[in-house]
Amino acid sequence: MKIVKVGMPVLMILISVTFLISSFAIPKANLGNPNGPLYFPIGLSVLMLILSLIYLFNELKTMDGSYEKIKDLFDKKTLARIGVTIILGIIYSLIFETVGFLISTILFLGLLLFYLNGRKKWLVNIAVTAGFSFITWYGFSQLLGVSLP
Amino acid sequence: MEGFLEGFLTAIQPINILWIVLGGFLGTVVGMLPGLGPATAVAVLIPVTFGMDPTSAIILMAAIYYGAMYGGSRSSILLNTPGDGSAIAATFDGYPMAKKGQAGQAMAISAVASFIGGVLATIGFVFLAKPLASFALKFGPAEYFLLMLLTLSAIVSLSIGKMIKGFIAMSIGLLLSTIGIDPQTGIHRFTMGVPHLSEGIDFLIVIIGVYAVGEVFYNFLTINKEKKGPKDGGDSMGKIWFTKEQWKRSKWPMLRSAPLGFIIGVLPGAGGSIASMISYSTEKQISKKPEEFGKGAVEGLAAPESANNAASVGAMIPLLTMGIPGSGTTAVMLGALIMLGVRPGPMLFENDPVMVWGLINSMFIGNIALVIINVLLVGLLVKVLKTPAKVLYPLIIMLAFIGTYTLSYSTVDFYLLLLFGVIGLLMKVMDFPIAPLVLALIVGTDMEQNFRMALTSSNGSFSIFFSSWITVVLIILTVLSLFYPLLIKLFKKKKNDHTIAS
Repeated sequence: MKIVKVGMPVLMILISVTFLISSFAIPKANLGNPNGPLYFPIGLSVLMLILSLIYLFNELKTMDGSYEKIKDLFDKKTLARIGVTIILGIIYSLIFETVGFLISTILFLGLLLFYLNGRKKWLVNIAVTAGFSFITWYGFSQLLGVSLP
Repeated sequence: MEGFLEGFLTAIQPINILWIVLGGFLGTVVGMLPGLGPATAVAVLIPVTFGMDPTSAIILMAAIYYGAMYGGSRSSILLNTPGDGSAIAATFDGYPMAKKGQAGQAMAISAVASFIGGVLATIGFVFLAKPLASFALKFGPAEYFLLMLLTLSAIVSLSIGKMIKGFIAMSIGLLLSTIGIDPQTGIHRFTMGVPHLSEGIDFLIVIIGVYAVGEVFYNFLTINKEKKGPKDGGDSMGKIWFTKEQWKRSKWPMLRSAPLGFIIGVLPGAGGSIASMISYSTEKQISKKPEEFGKGAVEGLAAPESANNAASVGAMIPLLTMGIPGSGTTAVMLGALIMLGVRPGPMLFENDPVMVWGLINSMFIGNIALVIINVLLVGLLVKVLKTPAKVLYPLIIMLAFIGTYTLSYSTVDFYLLLLFGVIGLLMKVMDFPIAPLVLALIVGTDMEQNFRMALTSSNGSFSIFFSSWITVVLIILTVLSLFYPLLIKLFKKKKNDHTIAS
């Protein structure tokens, strides 16, 4: 768990350094002040770098603190729930345009409900999936005029 | 006055009444759900506003916002689980009241308190908005830049104890806002050759990602530790209307808290959470029976409920008159308005008085509708609270996906949505405040452009930022806001020393 506590500020430091380095790669402007587009990105990455270093220092000082939330996150069940949702989300993104809104939504929502809510409550799961998918499809594509695949 | 009447006629059009009632109801429902607050409610329901006339859209979003404020206290009272920050104060005395078998009375008084707060604040809106808009016309780029800086620093300092993390979140938001083509020079920044990024990251996707998907992921941490309602009082609500004595006790606290909450709402960075906390502690301090606070004192529930609703109305003033949101929820609303092609700011009152006055009038109607909904439908609303979270969270994820799709008709954004969901989750787990990120991302582009325009007009001299009394005041306020947490600490220490000494 300690690694996560230090990992976050290290990640922030990396992000700010990446932004700082790529800021210098921004081409000079032909219009107006040639360095105009640079001020904000450079200033902000430096600010973020300084803040992240302070953050890292603070975290190192409080290593004995509580890890309640981090522990909850790394609970196997929590990770599984988040992981399954993300994987289903990616599958949804992949099939959305080919199989269409209605089918992909029914699949995504149905599977997610069966996974989270349990097989025992299959009737609720199916009813909610069917009801929600149809209502959103009808609402968006027919009432609000959003074109869905 | 003319604008007011015209706005009134707009607000009472049947279609707008429908949006007010629907928005208020949906806001109440989402606001009630533990862990979900007004920002999430507005974010998830943004796609509904597309294709709507902008006036109806803002009426609907405002109704969702204050509807969520009404709803927020339901779960505080019944489950001791606040929907969001501004409903925390409602748990202090609301939950003890429910345990005493007065859940119905508690919900009735909180609905009436919300109503009083909302209506009084709307009256304040009528008087304050126009002068503030005229004042804002004096603002040049330097003033706007400094005002945004003040708003950001205020919202960070007010998340006490998380200042460093808040400023990191703000820097990330501002850096994200620089991605894409620079509007002044046409230069590509941080696009890494990806064409999809040249228009920048759509802040609505970030908002939906962190507020909806991130929030659901975060709730996965505790999904099995759900708090159950009070075992004995779950179904027995007690009386659904409060007694004369309860009314007498809470009448003045409600009336006092409304202007207090309104003013706090107008201030940059502060919002419903701070308004309700301050009103609670004020009432406790001036009460003749402070020992009853926390044990089910009815005024301890009524005062913060009135204050947080008033604050939600007040928060819309800087949004509409200056185009600068002061809180997470109004930032989300600004994002949606920009999508609809509305540019809030001082000119809005000149260019589109019907929209502004329509909104103001809709808030009167909406508050009346909500108090009726919340008192009469209390049984139905309580049933909604019993909807298992495990059914609800997948639905919110689904709405997030659909909302994202309606923004760009591209499934590429689905991946961004998931990415920002994970970022939102990590931020919540590591105790980062979310509002500075979202606010910074939304005002970031404007902030940078104003900064550079100010420097261009002064030929690169920073003296422009000290050139008028407005800029000087803004700078002083920004510096003060940075030291605010320090001042609070000193003040508390002094108070403690004092009590120990005596």
